[in-house]
Amino acid sequence: MMRPILLALLEVKRFLADRGALAFSIALPIVLFALMFGVFGEEAGFNDTAHVADLDEGDAARELIERIEQIDGLDVRLYTEGELDDALGRSAVLTGFVIPEGFTAALENGTPAVVRVKQRGSGGNAGQITAAIVRGVADGVASEYELRRALGALVSEATPQEEVVAQTGILLADARREPPVRVVDQRLVEQGEEEDVLDRMLPGIIVMFLLFSVTLSAQTLIEERRNGTLERLLTTRLNADELFAGKFLAGVSRGMLQTIVLLVLAFVVLRIAGLSALAQSAALALVVAAAASAIALVIAAVARTEDQATWAAVFVTMFMTVFGGTFFPIASSGVLEVLSRFTLNRYAIDAYEGILAETATLGDATFEIAILGAVTVACLTIARLLFRVSSEAK
Amino acid sequence: MKHMQDFLVASGLTKSFDGVQVVESVSFTVHSQEIFGLLGPNGAGKTTTIRMLSTVLDPDDGDVNVGGHSVERESDAVRRLIGVCPQELALYPELSATDNLVFFGRMAGLSGRESKERAADILQRVGLTERAKDAVRKYSGGMKRRVNIAIALMSKPRLLFLDEPTVGIDPQSRNHIFDTVLTLRDEGMSVLYTTHYMEEADRLCDRIGIMDEGRIIALGTPTELKAQIGDPNTTTLEEVFLSLTGRSLRD
Repeated sequence: MMRPILLALLEVKRFLADRGALAFSIALPIVLFALMFGVFGEEAGFNDTAHVADLDEGDAARELIERIEQIDGLDVRLYTEGELDDALGRSAVLTGFVIPEGFTAALENGTPAVVRVKQRGSGGNAGQITAAIVRGVADGVASEYELRRALGALVSEATPQEEVVAQTGILLADARREPPVRVVDQRLVEQGEEEDVLDRMLPGIIVMFLLFSVTLSAQTLIEERRNGTLERLLTTRLNADELFAGKFLAGVSRGMLQTIVLLVLAFVVLRIAGLSALAQSAALALVVAAAASAIALVIAAVARTEDQATWAAVFVTMFMTVFGGTFFPIASSGVLEVLSRFTLNRYAIDAYEGILAETATLGDATFEIAILGAVTVACLTIARLLFRVSSEAK
Repeated sequence: MKHMQDFLVASGLTKSFDGVQVVESVSFTVHSQEIFGLLGPNGAGKTTTIRMLSTVLDPDDGDVNVGGHSVERESDAVRRLIGVCPQELALYPELSATDNLVFFGRMAGLSGRESKERAADILQRVGLTERAKDAVRKYSGGMKRRVNIAIALMSKPRLLFLDEPTVGIDPQSRNHIFDTVLTLRDEGMSVLYTTHYMEEADRLCDRIGIMDEGRIIALGTPTELKAQIGDPNTTTLEEVFLSLTGRSLRD
């Protein structure tokens, strides 16, 4: 068992000594992460637009809109309800607010008033913040209306000053307990159908680069076959099974190293989850790297030239990347959904998403891990049957 | 003093690829503490023969015995006795010479410490101590050839296979390799040496087997082979070779 491990360690050493490989498999994903972070990540100051459909057009609605506009970094854009629905449907807007007809009247009469929040998926990070702000402003406006109404009643009844003060205190306490405006969230698509972009793309990119670099290592295996290194190893004490095991472990080690660097970077820079999620993601990386390494061995066993191996690796990786849901969500039915079942990415990304979003643990990804494990075993079996050490037919 | 017992005995080795007979009934011996030259034009079957002798390839027929062990039945025991320097630069260019040697030493069964000590000794022997930590890809062709040989020495072999070890290198490196091979022989090692350079074979080899079209067509000392076609003092080994294998191109 020692010799395959030594062989794997040698491969890691070669990987670390190869600047081209390092640039491709670690530096390039880091650059991509940086770009994504710039586009989708946190911003130093908050800037957003509240997309509002004012169906009420009463005083309270106008007051609510004016107060939202007064918040730093927040603009208001007005829509009809149809326009807002259309913008949400096109994903031009991820979070919108509807002030329903009768909003002002309800506040004036002391009956429950509602502001509806419409959102696509999670509504986006900025949308969630804006929704929280709107909720706070609406509560403030409603509380004032409640107070105004109650005070008006008390004054008209010529209530003594002490009684007015006492009643005001009670009204304020009631308002704090139960906000007079209920803000109702209305999710337009089901949870999971459209996730946060970072949550989906991070695992997708990690898996894509893992597949790329590990399957491309099939090409170096053929280069070794051509330059005689593999054959030379067989004149030492290493036997063919140990050589095969060593090359498999080498792929796993290389994939793990690359993934862990990217995961740590994502956790440190993007702060997307906690340590437990990091540990579980690393454990999942082991399973994904094993499957990718087994696929690389199949490519190395089948291909006869380095060019063939490179093209096969690119084809396999691109197929799995495109159809596995790296860049767009997988459809729930149809040809694309069927194709996605033949990709590692689908299962790996599904498992990663839950762990990174901290909505699931490794234990919840048993199905995905079982599929990845089965792929590993099947590919290893095929590769071992076809594995050739020599560049010549024997 | 040379010990003339046979260290390697090849008997009736035969090998075909896709129905093409590449090696046909090849038999010869390599004595202990002897440099045995295997010469032949391109495609004569030299490398295939070496691959069968060094446990990499199973012969279709025939047997090889190395140091009293059958290559077919006791390949692990045979591997403990041999070192192989293939024609190609079978090494890892991204790594240093030391890393290459230590790795192959570990694969040959040496401990980490033994591997490091032996790597240092061998690198000194092949004149690469000063560049031992540099990546091999930065070496000249001659230096890479010397690393290729050094790797084969890591297992402390009693029989060394050198398959065209001096291809494409300058005279200085070639002479350094000659001196190393002669020293190894004098220290007790047997060497099976293939080359296309006849003057090299004449200078180094105690005995020579000439292969053509998969068969051994002549076997003897350089002097004996030269005597087959003329005066051994004036005839060159190249004349013998061309006389036996013809002048037609082979590639």
